Amino acid sequence: MGPVIIRRLLVSLPALLGVLFLCFCLLQVVPSDPARIIAGPDAKPEEVAAVRAELGLDRPIAYQFAEYVGRLSRGDLGRSIISNKSVGEELADTVGPTVELMIGAMLLAVPIGLLLGTIAAVRRGTLTDRLIMAISVAGVSMPVFFIGLLLIQYVGYKWDLLPFTGRTGPVWDGGLPSLILPALTLGCVLIGPIARLTRTAVLEVLGADFVRTARAKGLRESVVIVHHALRNALIPVVTLIGLQAAFLLGGAVVTETMFSWPGVGRLAVGAIISSDFPTAQGAIMILAIAFLAINLLVDVLYVYLDPRVQRA
Amino acid sequence: MSSPAITASASGIGRRHSVLQRLARDKVALAAAIVLMTIALAALFAPLIAPYDPYFTDLSKPMQAPDGEHWFGTDNTGRDIFSRVLYGSRNTLIMALAGVLTGGALGGALGIASAFYRRLDPWIMRLVDIMLAFPAILIGLSVAAIVGPGIESVIIALVVSTVPDVARVARGSAIGIMGQEFMEAGRAVGVSNAALIWRYLTLNCISTISVFLTLRFGQVILVGSALGFLGMGAQPPEAELGMMAAQGRDFLFMAPHIATIPSLVILLIVLAANLLGDAVRDVLDPRLQQ
Repeated sequence: MGPVIIRRLLVSLPALLGVLFLCFCLLQVVPSDPARIIAGPDAKPEEVAAVRAELGLDRPIAYQFAEYVGRLSRGDLGRSIISNKSVGEELADTVGPTVELMIGAMLLAVPIGLLLGTIAAVRRGTLTDRLIMAISVAGVSMPVFFIGLLLIQYVGYKWDLLPFTGRTGPVWDGGLPSLILPALTLGCVLIGPIARLTRTAVLEVLGADFVRTARAKGLRESVVIVHHALRNALIPVVTLIGLQAAFLLGGAVVTETMFSWPGVGRLAVGAIISSDFPTAQGAIMILAIAFLAINLLVDVLYVYLDPRVQRA
Repeated sequence: MSSPAITASASGIGRRHSVLQRLARDKVALAAAIVLMTIALAALFAPLIAPYDPYFTDLSKPMQAPDGEHWFGTDNTGRDIFSRVLYGSRNTLIMALAGVLTGGALGGALGIASAFYRRLDPWIMRLVDIMLAFPAILIGLSVAAIVGPGIESVIIALVVSTVPDVARVARGSAIGIMGQEFMEAGRAVGVSNAALIWRYLTLNCISTISVFLTLRFGQVILVGSALGFLGMGAQPPEAELGMMAAQGRDFLFMAPHIATIPSLVILLIVLAANLLGDAVRDVLDPRLQQ
């Protein structure tokens, strides 16, 4: 497994540099000249030049970029223009809730998707199958914010079942109720694709020889489906989750904004709207790196689930 | 992703005709096409159809529920939602179309160049990998941060996020065609590179790319409207479906129709686009026909 992981890490390196460079560019668009601001409005040109040299702003872009990466490696992401807190601190506060939201969404979506897909495959061609597939197509076509709006309006407001603004605390400390609606909103994005692919994968596996053998051995149908069919069908589903990571992240940004969930996505949106470039840069970087990491993780998991990949 | 179907499909008009006929026989595809056409036409002729000025505020009639006078009701400042939905669909569709077409053209060019000039291939594919490292919404946020929120930012983001996927599809399809005998024959009789690329490669790849873009269209609308919803797209008083849903969110409990109606229209467009895309793929992919 080692070589596969190392090769994957090397492949993501240019992508990581691309991410960092984009974030570096974000900091370059600050509308005014930082040297002039620091030197003050009455500064003479040579004083401004001195400050510029001190800040390294007169160096070539490549040098400035290298220096930027150096600062990042020391954990220095700059300071928020709005709150004056260090961006590192802001991120540390928001990463937890975002991770919590994404894990919550997966925990809801993966079992539901697998269940629906398996039922559809086993009851292939029946009304149940068609109904499940119709729901999944509708789910794929639904804007995340529409799911959120409906949940907020009915479950949150009209039926008053669950809280729908903000986060009351970590899950282990009474925060579970406030997590359910955002996680469900985000999870709905994944249920449709997972159900659809599980159905195809299970159908394919159900026709395989080892399933016939299992049945011939006289195993119970439930054992055949769960242990033989579903287990093997998991491989493409894991890949799919990797492919859906982009939607999961994008959905998280929208979900956090809707539910006032104090995560990285909401931080990024807020920072962009208030032109807080350092914060925006940090938040976007963390989200992009998270995306790279999820994909890396999925590839590793894939090798683990399907040992045949290693030999390829 | 590479599709062997397409090399054959470009060879005859007769076959393409039967593709349309087969699509028309599929009731779901037909219904989806009619829905899309209706919305597209309504959006196109919005100025003629809209019963009210989409920007005219009437503070004496805020948040009215749908009735005979205002089919979709009015929003918090008394603007007619039906008229705004027409104009909003226009912006949403223009955004998505611009994103898909420009992104498709750029991505197609990159993919085909990658297949034709093998020396460029590793470089172009590295670039594509880097672009794939950014989820569409993040691209949208970054562009909005750099050039400021607006419809243009969303279009740039949609283009950038469409390019890498199309490039991969086009490259796969073009590599398949590069191996065909007529490419060899073309080279042998001294056809210029430009003609080889355009008449031999591109025209044969176009149907694969268009099927992919059709399948992609729904997703692009979802991303575009999500960016609109986040405030990265059209700015008030301009109308755009995602942004309208976001504005309605503040009045969700008093007047749920303000947010629900634009959201429903998005759902309808995306659903129709997805169903139509699936049908087109099924008709053109011979592997699924057995």
